Amino acid sequence: MTHCGKRALVTGGSAGLGAAAASWLQANGYAVVVLDRVRPDDDGAAADYIACDLTSRSELDAVMADLIAAGPYDLVFLNAGINASGRFENIAAGAHLDVIRVNAEAPMVITARLFEAGAVRSGGSMVFVSSLSHFTGYPGAASYAASKDALAIFAKSMRAYAKTRGIGLTVAFPGPLRTDHAERHSPQGADASKRMHPAEAAQLILADALAGRKTSIPGAANRVFATIGRITPKPVTALMRRLIYSRL
Amino acid sequence: MIGPKSRRILITGGNTGLGLALATKLARRHQLLLSGRKSRDEVAASLPPGAGYIVADQSDPETSAAALLDGVTEFGWDGLDNAVLNAGTGFAAVDGIDSTDAIRQTLDVNLLAAVFQAQALYPLLKKTSGTLTLIGSDAHKGSATVPAYAASKAGLHGLARALRSEWKGNVSVQVLHPGPAKTEMHDKAGYDPGLMRSLFLAPEDIASMMASAIAARRSPVTLSWVKYLNGGAYTGRRL
Repeated sequence: MTHCGKRALVTGGSAGLGAAAASWLQANGYAVVVLDRVRPDDDGAAADYIACDLTSRSELDAVMADLIAAGPYDLVFLNAGINASGRFENIAAGAHLDVIRVNAEAPMVITARLFEAGAVRSGGSMVFVSSLSHFTGYPGAASYAASKDALAIFAKSMRAYAKTRGIGLTVAFPGPLRTDHAERHSPQGADASKRMHPAEAAQLILADALAGRKTSIPGAANRVFATIGRITPKPVTALMRRLIYSRL
Repeated sequence: MIGPKSRRILITGGNTGLGLALATKLARRHQLLLSGRKSRDEVAASLPPGAGYIVADQSDPETSAAALLDGVTEFGWDGLDNAVLNAGTGFAAVDGIDSTDAIRQTLDVNLLAAVFQAQALYPLLKKTSGTLTLIGSDAHKGSATVPAYAASKAGLHGLARALRSEWKGNVSVQVLHPGPAKTEMHDKAGYDPGLMRSLFLAPEDIASMMASAIAARRSPVTLSWVKYLNGGAYTGRRL
């Protein structure tokens, strides 16, 4: 394995936004390591693959040494995420648990251990994939919203430390994407054509990360939505309730 | 009785710090059920008279939620007017980086336990159109000293925001973000605030602001010096 070229780590790189980010990175000369529960299906042959189910603490601990050894990385794309949508009280407790483990705990642990091991190169970037719900609230996916807020604030909290190592942290807040993930958790009959293509989102987010931006909200409509959400959080959450929760 | 009627209030982490300060303040007027990690014997002397106590260790979120539910039933309550999910923990990051255990414990105790407890207590709160109060922190916007703690409190903020909307009309949900208080929390977290400590508010004053914020059912509310200097500990609604 050569470690001289640019290297990237993508969690959840087998599908959706992660797969899109992995192919963009490969197309731009990165050797990509994909960590996921399932093997990448199509053009994943070019990527190194580490199997790990992030709902399991022991599985993550078991692959941590491999993850560090596969570095040092120039770019880390912490993207693996799951959702549990529906009425909060009706969702199985185990599903809430998995959401918080995969979306918040795992990327926090990976970040801390990579930093500790010096496995991210100076001049490198890390991307934390949060959600547009950080600005809008997300009735109908309360634990998901909690996990994505936690991740965004963790990244923000680590920024000062990362800067001392010469590493830039970018928090991405993508809106709805045209992925299987979004399809599973959207209200029935929602218009999928309005969602952004994952390849487009990945490219915009990675461009922001490489330009050293602290936040990345791909898409003009999403940026408008985020701004309104910041100014008037309550009406925007009420709108989210009408658009999503009441139709679930 | 003059004033508002007596309410049935559950406070997690009610045996120490802000939880105890709030319990002490409310004990004269309301019926209290407190929970904590320590055994009944260890805390008996410090609890306000008449308050019930449940042993519920939040480091096992699922068991803690079940323990609360059992405790409420055993105490003879068929509903809850208020649940204040206040128990929390934190660890100062060593050299800027949290240990894996610190991250996991912080998320379990502060966020996951609240998720499970909110789910378990929902039917009891719904029965009385009660209020669920999550105790966040001023640090929910980010802190380099305690990254995992800040993240867990941001999680509570997002949880409250979603639940407040979801449970509208059934249960009021709110998140309160207290500023630093003169409690044992910083010692326990392995963080010495030094001279800054003299600027921290007294737990009793924060508890007063918590009580009036709980009565007002607003969300989110930050309870720090700004509110205190505006008379927050002495004015506002009475619970």
